Amino acid sequence: MKEFFKFVIFITSVFASANLLAVEENYPFESEAKRADFEALVQELRCPKCQNQNVADSNSLVAIDLKNKTYQLVQEGKTKQEVVDYMVQRYTQFVHYDPPVNHVTIWLWIIPGFICIFLVLFVLKRNRTESGSQITDPHIREAEAIFAELEKQSQLKANSNTTQEVDK
Amino acid sequence: MKSIRVIIPIVSFLAVSIFLYKGLFSDPTDIKNANVERQFPDFNLPDLMDENLFYQKDSVKGDYTLVNVWGTWCVTCRVELPYMTRLRQEGVRIVGVYYDNAADAAFGEVNVEQTRLEVKQMLAQLGNPFQFNIYDVKRDLSLDLGVTGAPESFLVNPEGVIIAHRRGAIDERVWQKEFQPLLNSYSNQAKSQSN
Repeated sequence: MKEFFKFVIFITSVFASANLLAVEENYPFESEAKRADFEALVQELRCPKCQNQNVADSNSLVAIDLKNKTYQLVQEGKTKQEVVDYMVQRYTQFVHYDPPVNHVTIWLWIIPGFICIFLVLFVLKRNRTESGSQITDPHIREAEAIFAELEKQSQLKANSNTTQEVDK
Repeated sequence: MKSIRVIIPIVSFLAVSIFLYKGLFSDPTDIKNANVERQFPDFNLPDLMDENLFYQKDSVKGDYTLVNVWGTWCVTCRVELPYMTRLRQEGVRIVGVYYDNAADAAFGEVNVEQTRLEVKQMLAQLGNPFQFNIYDVKRDLSLDLGVTGAPESFLVNPEGVIIAHRRGAIDERVWQKEFQPLLNSYSNQAKSQSN
């Protein structure tokens, strides 16, 4: 009996996986290049109904239609760019995960670069002001004189302290 | 020089704050339809009830027409039917584009007879706002219109240009706010021309 159950489970799992393969075969292609184009397109086309899912992952109604349309256009021999243009014309730039560089999106590239350059310049400038010595000779002499004076005073203090302790 | 050092961080902080604050209230599902202010796409599709009767783009031109993409499987479409029926009684021309459930269609041929029966029942029950229904057999017209689901509505002017679009049900508030003003400005224009 147990053996029989094992056999049933084995058979059902075989058929279940065959089913999964059949889903892939919904979109048969005669050439590998077209299949590659189709796979790439459904990955980079965005589902207009659902947030943050591409057409390949989504099961929404519109995603099913877009997948079918992509298949149809690729089969007709359209290039990847032509399919993307077709979709963008109908569903705006939202439908494509790879936005074009234009006068608005260019700032996404310019601003980080600008910030990097600014930071590098800032650090360089700071380093220069720290290492570059602005202290002149008269200043040094003045400082040495003060140090000498301080040392003398502290020695005098120390001496007077010791004499006081001796007195006690 | 010192004041600039103080101002730069404050200004950049404010700019970033305003940018992010605006993001808090932006609706990510609010995507403008690409077809607004464009010509209604060309099509050649049969009537839902009669496969020998065909409609082209001219069928939605000539008068202000509300093109409503809908299906009996869609719950929100049920909600808007009574209000749209009232609009029809007030003289608004409404044309339906019947949109099959793509997930059902993926399982094979859709039974048109079954669809017709469901449509008749539903319109008898909730009101029929439609002059006629175009059957979007392969949902190509809906795709050309950039439809992302049902219901969606397009207001087409007499020249065949889409002048307004609504994703979701049409109720009194939406109609008064987004569609009625456009019709009013048109009738005002017509009046001033006839004068």
